[in-house]
Amino acid sequence: MTPEPAGPAPAATGAGHRSDHSSEEAGDTSMTTTAPWPAAGEGRAPAAVPAPRGARRTARRRALGACGVLMTPFFVLLVTVFLIPVATAVWLSFFGSDEPGLGFGPERTVFVGLRSYAAVLTDPTFLSGLGVVALYCLLYIPLMVLCALVLALLLDSGVVRLRAWAQLGLFLPHAVPGIIAAIIWLYLYTPGLSPVIDLLGRAGVTVDFLGIHTVVPSIVNIALWSNLGYNMVVFYAALQAVPREVVEAAVVDGAGPVRTALQVKTPLIRASIVMVAMFTLIFALQLFTEPMLLSQSTPMISSRFSPSMYIYDAAFNRNNYGLASAASVVLLVCTIALSYGVTRWTGRLDARSVPDEQQEAAV
Amino acid sequence: MPSRLPAPPAEAAPPAPPAPDAGPPPSQEARQRPGSSRRSVLTALTALPLAGAVSACGSGGSSSGGSKGVTRLTFWSALRGSQQVVDEFNRTHERIQVDFEQIPSGTQGGYLKLSNAARAGNSPDVATIEYPEVPEFAIDGVARDITPLVDGGLRRKLLPQSLGLTTFKKRIYSVPLDVEPMVMHYRKDLFDRFGIEVPRTWDEFEQAARTVRRRAPERRLAVFPTDGAETFAAFAWQAGAQWYDIRDGAWNISLADEPTRRVAAYWQRLVDEDLVFANPGTGKLNDAQIGRGLLLARFSGAWDAGAQMNARPAQKGDWRIAGLPQWDPDRPVVSTQGGSTFAVTKDCRHPEAAMEFIAWQVCDPASLRARLSSGASSQYPAAPGLVQVGRKAFDRSYYGGQDIYRLFDEEARKIGPNWRWGPRMRPTVTVMQDGFARMSGGRQSVIGAVRAAQRGTMPDLRALGLATTQHST
Repeated sequence: MTPEPAGPAPAATGAGHRSDHSSEEAGDTSMTTTAPWPAAGEGRAPAAVPAPRGARRTARRRALGACGVLMTPFFVLLVTVFLIPVATAVWLSFFGSDEPGLGFGPERTVFVGLRSYAAVLTDPTFLSGLGVVALYCLLYIPLMVLCALVLALLLDSGVVRLRAWAQLGLFLPHAVPGIIAAIIWLYLYTPGLSPVIDLLGRAGVTVDFLGIHTVVPSIVNIALWSNLGYNMVVFYAALQAVPREVVEAAVVDGAGPVRTALQVKTPLIRASIVMVAMFTLIFALQLFTEPMLLSQSTPMISSRFSPSMYIYDAAFNRNNYGLASAASVVLLVCTIALSYGVTRWTGRLDARSVPDEQQEAAV
Repeated sequence: MPSRLPAPPAEAAPPAPPAPDAGPPPSQEARQRPGSSRRSVLTALTALPLAGAVSACGSGGSSSGGSKGVTRLTFWSALRGSQQVVDEFNRTHERIQVDFEQIPSGTQGGYLKLSNAARAGNSPDVATIEYPEVPEFAIDGVARDITPLVDGGLRRKLLPQSLGLTTFKKRIYSVPLDVEPMVMHYRKDLFDRFGIEVPRTWDEFEQAARTVRRRAPERRLAVFPTDGAETFAAFAWQAGAQWYDIRDGAWNISLADEPTRRVAAYWQRLVDEDLVFANPGTGKLNDAQIGRGLLLARFSGAWDAGAQMNARPAQKGDWRIAGLPQWDPDRPVVSTQGGSTFAVTKDCRHPEAAMEFIAWQVCDPASLRARLSSGASSQYPAAPGLVQVGRKAFDRSYYGGQDIYRLFDEEARKIGPNWRWGPRMRPTVTVMQDGFARMSGGRQSVIGAVRAAQRGTMPDLRALGLATTQHST
């Protein structure tokens, strides 16, 4: 068996132990931070040995100390790079330095309430940016999950020869930074530069990859290229954790390879699928790098194409920090709400499917 | 906007000219290698202490602010030839010395740099701001109210229409350097070949466009610039539009007012009937159209005559310049495209000295001569008294001996006085251009883009807490 890559191993752990956890936790992103195997093993070992009370208390104190030391960097970073900026954005969105009327004259900082939010939510360009991202998500997330899953199942089933090479080849684009990826694709999309357009043109096909209808699919393509390999590895690692007895039992019961893949393996790695879908959703909502770079080459990508670009434009081109902060908070709230919604929804699905399985087992 | 004054090459030199040892060689070097901005910054840094020492010796120990000492000012500009102007100022002035920094043009990051510096409390003493952005920087408190500093003498020297664009509620926020009446550059040779008269009215212009298309199907008379919202603004201004207007203590926004709708319908017709190109007015495609003679006329500010000479030396003698076609030839109106102003910032500690420097730049013949010495330029000064200087310095041979400064002078006096730029022009301009870019394929119309620009600007103004009214939607 190929060794599991280090990164997604915890995910596989979570997937393997799905039945141990409550259904709520199964879809939770926190599973990626659960301790890997060795730590869990060590933690259990001292408890098994009967020890005097004082020693146990010392051990407990030490464990707490270690916990504190290990967690501090995380909380320091959380506070400095997440909570403080968010708090600043919220503050900026509720306060403005202005002079009523025409705006000339000395400025003073005043509480402006929901003014910036009202402005953002009535801005047709912001709403159209949300529309663009919604379209992008509708195209990108299903495609990404399906393609990554199919590739992982193919690799896992042993159909693919040179498995390690295939994995490496698919994973490499993820090692390319997003900006570089966008530049590479910009080159491939630009008429006059692109060998692809050249070749298609010689074959009598004219394509405009940056036209009004093709620009969102073109961005989806870049994102797929960059992230497919990574998500495939996540799925593949989860599939490795599927007990072989289950698969063998399915084969013995007469399931073909396709049926085994779709009806045995796929349901067993559902937690990973939900996690990948959610991470993809979160990244998709923040769509910025690709359209920002492509906008140099096509007028179809406006300066306010996606919400993130709107925020950038509001802050740095329009010099309107209140508006930019309000838009950021709106985007943050949308992201949190969607993540929470997805978690709750899949949690409920799990809760419903478990009794079904039990009933079937009883029958 | 790309259609404005072109960004000059990086000509950063040591900021303090009175350092004879460090001065000229690095400046030469920086000029030879325009890309090496880091290097020129380094040379500037090494020159700084030296320069400080020299000036300190010359002025008896005090280097800033003191009544006996030298007042040092910092000045940021993206304008061509600013270094030469500053050098000349420093050479002729003892009590005020200016440190100049070449910055990127406004939309290339210059305005972002200025507003960030102002937010950090270290903006330069004097900054360069183009007309459309003057209200923005005045409202944000970056450009300070300089009304008491602008004396009657300076006021009388400036063209009233130009000062009107930097005055709000009778308070002056910046001083115009140049005012650029929009003119029509045209290919005299091709006009002659196809038998076209120079159009005096927009009706004649449309007829000429039809003639060009009929006689030379691959050529067009003009281009509707899909990246030129400010050019379109100039067309609307000429027709009498008032996109922004201050009335009853509120900003009144009416981008789609009657004159604008008329102008939009006019250009829409030309585009729909394929009488003009509809593509970006800057960039490779447009360069190729001009270079290959596919485009017979183009509209831009007076400044562009110099830029044209630099950009296309091979077409020497082919071009002439005429005034804008008119809607009503009996009551001619002209609008402007481009032009810059100088503001004293809120962080300036020596406003009087800053004002003296600005007044010298704007009104002194030596200043204009120094600026023109940097290369071909055709800036039309906001102080009409300087027109003769520009006229003498300008090489007429490119335009077949035409006295273009006399034309600019005639046109500048017709500039419509009722135009006002709004509190946030860049969002207006970008949203409008996003709309123009979608015109191909009929997904957007000229007036649709204008209306979208108004809708896309209002949230900005509301978020700024400005009192606004809308008189068109």
